Amino acid sequence: MKTPAMPMLDRVLFTEDEIRASLLEVAARISDRYKDGNLKLIGVLKGSVFFLTALARELTIPVKIDFLAISSFSNRSGAPGVVRIAKDLDESIEGEDVLLVEDIVDTGFTARYLLQTLAGRGPNSIALCTMLDRSARRIVPLQIDFRCFEIPDRFVIGCGLDYKQLYRNLNFIGVLKPDQA
Amino acid sequence: MAVVTVSGQPGCRTREVAQLAAQRLGFTHISADRLDALLAEEFGPIVEANSRTWPDMAASILLRLATEAHLVIGVDGAEHFFHNFPALLRIRVVAPENRRIGNIMLDDRLDRPSARESLLRREAEIRRTRKARFGRAAPPPDSFDLIVNAESLDGAHMAAFIESAALHRDLTAHGFLSRAAEAQLQFQIRLRLAKHGIQPRGLASLHRVQFGHPSEEIFANLLDFYRIAWEYEPRSFPIAWDEHGRVLEAFTPDFFLPESNLYVELTTMKQSLVTRKNRKIRLLREIYPHINIQVFYQKDLQDLVLKYGLIQLPAGGAS
Repeated sequence: MKTPAMPMLDRVLFTEDEIRASLLEVAARISDRYKDGNLKLIGVLKGSVFFLTALARELTIPVKIDFLAISSFSNRSGAPGVVRIAKDLDESIEGEDVLLVEDIVDTGFTARYLLQTLAGRGPNSIALCTMLDRSARRIVPLQIDFRCFEIPDRFVIGCGLDYKQLYRNLNFIGVLKPDQA
Repeated sequence: MAVVTVSGQPGCRTREVAQLAAQRLGFTHISADRLDALLAEEFGPIVEANSRTWPDMAASILLRLATEAHLVIGVDGAEHFFHNFPALLRIRVVAPENRRIGNIMLDDRLDRPSARESLLRREAEIRRTRKARFGRAAPPPDSFDLIVNAESLDGAHMAAFIESAALHRDLTAHGFLSRAAEAQLQFQIRLRLAKHGIQPRGLASLHRVQFGHPSEEIFANLLDFYRIAWEYEPRSFPIAWDEHGRVLEAFTPDFFLPESNLYVELTTMKQSLVTRKNRKIRLLREIYPHINIQVFYQKDLQDLVLKYGLIQLPAGGAS
């Protein structure tokens, strides 16, 4: 695919078609795994919204959806405090098969915190699905149950991933130019 | 001297509660692992871990540390260390079995039956250790000032309760333990230890963290934010020796994450330094294949800066 005319974009990593093909494959595996279950997809705002909704549309089983958000880390004011849920789930997950859906897992910090928090709320099972897995940066060991792509150690945008809150709406995944990232 | 002791049933993530409480209070967190390291520093290899002398050995170190810091001691049984001390707050973390099994399922990636088995094993182990050290397999409820239930409270909530209780008790009002008071208390402990031929050597101490570079402090703050326990430069690994076996070169990774059993090294932007560092890391991996080390390049840290909206890193990057 020709690189779109975006000066900050180095190259397209995955086209819309490639993303859809991988997403269909993952959706089929999820549908199969949870065919007898009680699946609830939990998205992490804001990045996972695009992936979660695209994924949910391709599932062939009934599914519930909920979202949460966590506080952001900022070192500007000195002591950063600790991570907390900034927007909690609307409904209980007790007894449900929870699939945490992330746009990207890199260090594993966020996913670990969320999995720990959700596991304490009595779900029947809990698993992790991510569109992108940047395992080169992993610090916290994590088991990823479903992933669309393993990606190189580059700053990526599109399909929910942002640079300064922009470019989430791109329908492809691109690599930001090194001098931009 | 202010001391908060935090112990809990297995599967309650007590370590996280103690760590967060220490963070909120600005106290020094002494985890079980850290106390083990301090005991080894003070007494050499510990063979008395499950004996009645262990509490005195631990207390002799903790009293000395209390002359320079307020402490949160996240060690099972620590509520017995400072009996009748005025500035003492003893916390117990409990949770229903289902909740604790859930935590273990996730932390250790186990299915429910295996997690239950693991929980029972840990409970039996704790009972054995407590019985050997303190003469009782389980602590009576009146050993504690505050019992918190992790069923509906997460680590941050419990830490906030502990902070509030410590502030209301005005724990820090009398400052650190005076040297004179320490000497008086140590005298009794030394007498008891001497009966077993054990002598404190005064070697164990708190090493306050002085980061080599601001980016290391940012990284440490990030770990704190995500409640991930860390130690700064806890161990050096010899990587080159001369013909007489003397160490010529050693490598000290920046961080150790005990929960992941992982060392983390932050690297610089300068290519010459990266090359030298990469060589050391390669040697470390060859000589110590069982050691897990993750290299976090300056570029990765910059991406985190972007991702989390941190302050810009100073030019020159990490160590």
